[in-house]
Amino acid sequence: MSSEDSGWSRRGFLKGAVVGAALPVDALAVAAPKRLGPGPSPLELTVNGAKHSLQVEPRATLAQVLRDQLGLTGTKVGCDRGACSACTVHIDGQPMNSCSLLAHEVAGRAIVTIEGLARGDSLHKVQETFIEHDALQCGFCTPGMVMSAAGLLARNKTPTLDEVQGAVAGNVCRCGTYPKVVAATLAAAGQGVAPGSLEVIPAGDGSTPPPGTVAVGLGGGKSGFEVRALPEGEPAGWPTNSGLKVVGKPTPRLDGRAKVTGAARYTFDVKLPGMLHARRVVSPHPHARVLEVDTRAAEKMPGVKAVHVVEHGMEGARLRDTTLESPSRYPTVRYVGQVVAAVAATTPEAAEAAARKVKVTYEPLPFAASLDDARRPDAARVYPGPVDMGGSGGGGGAAKGLPMEGNVRGPALTERGDVEKALKGAAVKVSGRFRTQVQTHSAMEPHGVVADWRPDGLTVYSSTQGVSSVRDELAAVFELPAAKVRVVSEYMGGGFGAKFGAGHYGVVAVHLSRKAGAPVRLVLDRREEHLAGGNRPSSDQTLTLGAGKDGALTAVKLDSYGSGGIATGAGVGWAADRLYPAPNFHGAQYDVFTNASPSTAFRAPGMPQAMFALEQLVDELAERLGQDPLALRERIDAEAEGAMERDARRAERALGATRIGWSSRHAPGADAGPVKRGLGMAQALWGRFVDPASSAEVRVHKDGSVELRTGVADLGTGSRTALAMLVAEELGLQANQVTVRLADTDLPYAPGSGGSKTEVSLSPAVRTAAAGAKRKLLEVAAARLGAPAQDLVCAGGKVFAKSRPDQGLTLARACASLPGEFISQLSVRAADYGGPPRGGYGGVQFAEVSVDTQTGIVKVERVVAVHDCGRPINPLAIQSQINGGVLHGLSWALYEDRVLDARNGQTLNPTLDSYQIAGARETPRIDVVLLEQYVGRSSTDAHGIGEPANIATAAAIANAFYNATGKRIRRLPMKPGTVLAALAGKEV
Amino acid sequence: MEPFELAQPTRLEDALSLLADPDASPLAGGTDLLDRMKEHLDAPKLLVSLKRLGLDSIASDSAKGLRLGALSPLMAVATHPEVKARYPALAAAAAHAATPNVRAQGTLGGSLAQRPRCWYFRSEAFFCRRHGGNTCFALDGENQLHALFDNGECAAIHPSTLATPLLAYDAQVVVASAKGRRTLALAEFFVAPGDDVTKENVLMPGELLTEVLLPAPTPGTRSAYLKQGQRESNDWPLADVAVTLVMDAEVVKQARVALGAAAPTPMRATAAEVVLMGHAPDEVHAKAAADAQMKLANPLSKNRYKVDVFRAVIARAIVAAATGRSTS
Repeated sequence: MSSEDSGWSRRGFLKGAVVGAALPVDALAVAAPKRLGPGPSPLELTVNGAKHSLQVEPRATLAQVLRDQLGLTGTKVGCDRGACSACTVHIDGQPMNSCSLLAHEVAGRAIVTIEGLARGDSLHKVQETFIEHDALQCGFCTPGMVMSAAGLLARNKTPTLDEVQGAVAGNVCRCGTYPKVVAATLAAAGQGVAPGSLEVIPAGDGSTPPPGTVAVGLGGGKSGFEVRALPEGEPAGWPTNSGLKVVGKPTPRLDGRAKVTGAARYTFDVKLPGMLHARRVVSPHPHARVLEVDTRAAEKMPGVKAVHVVEHGMEGARLRDTTLESPSRYPTVRYVGQVVAAVAATTPEAAEAAARKVKVTYEPLPFAASLDDARRPDAARVYPGPVDMGGSGGGGGAAKGLPMEGNVRGPALTERGDVEKALKGAAVKVSGRFRTQVQTHSAMEPHGVVADWRPDGLTVYSSTQGVSSVRDELAAVFELPAAKVRVVSEYMGGGFGAKFGAGHYGVVAVHLSRKAGAPVRLVLDRREEHLAGGNRPSSDQTLTLGAGKDGALTAVKLDSYGSGGIATGAGVGWAADRLYPAPNFHGAQYDVFTNASPSTAFRAPGMPQAMFALEQLVDELAERLGQDPLALRERIDAEAEGAMERDARRAERALGATRIGWSSRHAPGADAGPVKRGLGMAQALWGRFVDPASSAEVRVHKDGSVELRTGVADLGTGSRTALAMLVAEELGLQANQVTVRLADTDLPYAPGSGGSKTEVSLSPAVRTAAAGAKRKLLEVAAARLGAPAQDLVCAGGKVFAKSRPDQGLTLARACASLPGEFISQLSVRAADYGGPPRGGYGGVQFAEVSVDTQTGIVKVERVVAVHDCGRPINPLAIQSQINGGVLHGLSWALYEDRVLDARNGQTLNPTLDSYQIAGARETPRIDVVLLEQYVGRSSTDAHGIGEPANIATAAAIANAFYNATGKRIRRLPMKPGTVLAALAGKEV
Repeated sequence: MEPFELAQPTRLEDALSLLADPDASPLAGGTDLLDRMKEHLDAPKLLVSLKRLGLDSIASDSAKGLRLGALSPLMAVATHPEVKARYPALAAAAAHAATPNVRAQGTLGGSLAQRPRCWYFRSEAFFCRRHGGNTCFALDGENQLHALFDNGECAAIHPSTLATPLLAYDAQVVVASAKGRRTLALAEFFVAPGDDVTKENVLMPGELLTEVLLPAPTPGTRSAYLKQGQRESNDWPLADVAVTLVMDAEVVKQARVALGAAAPTPMRATAAEVVLMGHAPDEVHAKAAADAQMKLANPLSKNRYKVDVFRAVIARAIVAAATGRSTS
């Protein structure tokens, strides 16, 4: 490197100069250190062993240069503030954050990125074990995680569990891969087994169901066959998993290699020729009228190609009477961070500089920024009159026409019987007020798009859970035929419910692309993501249970208020109504509008909040009755209705109790000493949602290669792999022999990946398509094999007659004489076969916690998560999903809290440093127990798991907190201030 | 970030002369400065990199103390054998700060000279006293993480976790400028809000923190450091306590109890120290010392719980020091 060399020569020269008497004046001037910049200056970087001569501005970070100039997009930028380690690279062997290193500062150092870790085709040991252990989900944090783990092993060949946790303690993973990251890293070092386990409880003996029947049964319980009328074209029912070759076997994900090598291209990484970079101008006010937007100065800034001023509100609810707001060419802004305008320029820096030159004149309006403030009768109005709000692809929305007074909209009422009378007559009553906080999704890949408007159509790359939802909204906004809008989302860095629809950023980007006549990249930064990327609403519930002496619930009364900011959706769901149905029920749920960013769906919307209240009160009820919490649930979780999930939970309670050691549970607060331990449990319920239009195409090409085509997005759940396994099972292949194309509106329609409905909706269509393709394949092969198609089978990558397994044809040979390019079968999901009429998912979780009663620190030591999800397709990925659900619940229960200053509406912690998410050291041992469950409602009988896994965790922790301390905690998160107040018997 | 020029001098004299420009900023690990520049809280026209000045060595000095170059990465401080053996509280603090990557990049001098992490100070939306405004927004706002002592003017806590043990070890710092060098006690390096709320330390333009000097510990010194964050993975402390005890037989002859995350400057808990003098540093006296100190706290509307947290952590740190290995 040159500067170091010239440094030495300068030093040598000056040394001589001190000795010498006569020093030329201009020689001293030369000695002054060179200044680089501010424009691009020469820089030589050594990256992955190759030297690059570049022109780089001093302000460019190493992460920017790697990604933008060298095209090494495996290095991700999750926060750009050194707080998430997604951008970890090795500098002379040492892991560092490339987002907080200036590129010029690492000239001459040996830089290794994720792309340089493997040696050609041979992966680094850590990369291999990450794939084997499924130590990755969405994969966006994975390159950084791999680099941290590899860096540890380079300096420590035999790390302990603690050292591994320490090495990845700075890596933020929102999917919750920590247990497996630690396991994979220990495995790479040959250092034994990490804590945590997966146990599958099988059902049935794997025998083939007699024609016209399907397998039914519950893991560890009864199994058998039931008659079903299979819709035409549906393949025969599969045996239970022990009778299958691929399905039900733990299978590493197909995109593992792409993700651990940094090759997976996310929307974040898309770079099109001539692409511009956009930056938004957002409101600094929680509520204001926009009087003027002056873009003249911005337009004159260097590199600016387009400026767009927002003219229609894109978020929140709609006034029923729009005349209540005086006409304006700009929408009223109702939260800090709401987009007002945007700029597209040739570089991100130029866009940012120009965006700061857009002059917006606001007339600030009175605002109400907290739930408590907004409920006051004299509170400032977020909306000047009653509003309604439709749903999005991720659900949400609210019943139309509900009453609205001030900022309080509702109630959404559910009534049954006479609650007041029943409560009066109840032998035992328990009641409490429970409050929970706002949680931001904080997916590691922020919301973003690359929009490419062309005369012949619009193409949008979007980080989305549902490509169709993006296409439909953009087609509507821009009045384009759906056929002219294509949306693609090949790899997706986490969503958790917040990534449906076009989004305000998507609409703005398309406007800019249309104006500029060039593709435009608009990706939110981490601050914007916290401010305008969606959230789980707050809640404030008052819940009362009435019961008879035997514990039978006679009445349940729920009044809930919550705020999703300017959006509806702050309800707490149907748990209080249906988990333990009582003859008398009153549920009144209210949305309270605040001048805060709109909430969106978030992993089981409403349900963790509901369980935090309900399951604590059920425990209180058990204590009042002198019963064990499990015994009381055995009594009240036993109605005939929803038998399927109730049967599952009964089995799950028993399994979990054994594994957590429930019988050794002590009396509340029994431990001596300041640190007290306790055990608790809570239950889940979730609906089984089906999108009947789900469809998939399976192609068998002339060369025998097999392709699955469906529009579904794999947001890290492992859908890609699970769906390939279904095709492989039908066609006698291995999962990795199936090429999967997904997340593109050019592919057959699939549901948005939310509501835990992906597998339950789409997998039957995939299996039916695969079975149809097989039928056609066998017909082609029949001629060549000289045997009737119905006598042929596919197994081991070959087609052969059952009677002559030695005379098989490879798929390539079987297809060689195809008349066309490929065999194709497009299938749409059949209606449910029937089966259990109602009910959905169960799920029971047990937690062991310790509470430091002096500092108020709560630690979760262990979670046993017992779940059902129909026929498990890929237990390895299901375990990852359950780990992730548990960690989401744990992180919400203990740490996460969007802090918004009610005096000014500003979010104070929009960083991954100050917004606290559980990390490697907060991850408990998680033991997953999975019940096989067959109900025979579709050709796969697969269900979902993403949401059920997140519902019970916080409530189980809260019940364990009580068992540890003898005190109830009725407010989340359980931070030291809240905990110490609860221990002192004070409400906070 | 606004554009800027970058100088990468190899001689301290050059760095000091460049830093005499009030629009220049020294760049060490960059983990704080670049964040502030990205947030538009700071826009120096010139960054002077300190990486090539040879200020990253750790070595014994003639008086058997230790000299730590200000550019020593936290990781080097945490793992240096002499630091671990003789100043274990400092090694522990360096090992528990931030994340592994930040410890590899961030430096000792940067830890001491970083700016507050108060979320009002860190937001462009708030023109607070420390930025030259008239208001401390934390005083009656979201002050759950804020100061318990000396919080009348500005409630931000000093963020340096390394300062806490350094204070307990009676460290000094060396400040260099074109005029020469001066050595001052670490406590004198920090500026309290009452003296000047817009700065956290005494450094003037053209001055640079170049070294930290640790005196040789009195034989028999026992020390401990405890950090209590909300999380362990990566968190700022709620309470940060370092204790050094010099024992005379079974009783305390000299005690240093230092608190981080308690006040706008790293502070000595002198009320706690007084209680310990002449007593066995057992649980009873540790608790009495902690109580004596925390009685003086002035909690704000949302940080009263921190008094309890400090009470527990001070007492635990004293007991940990008393029962820990002594250093020679």
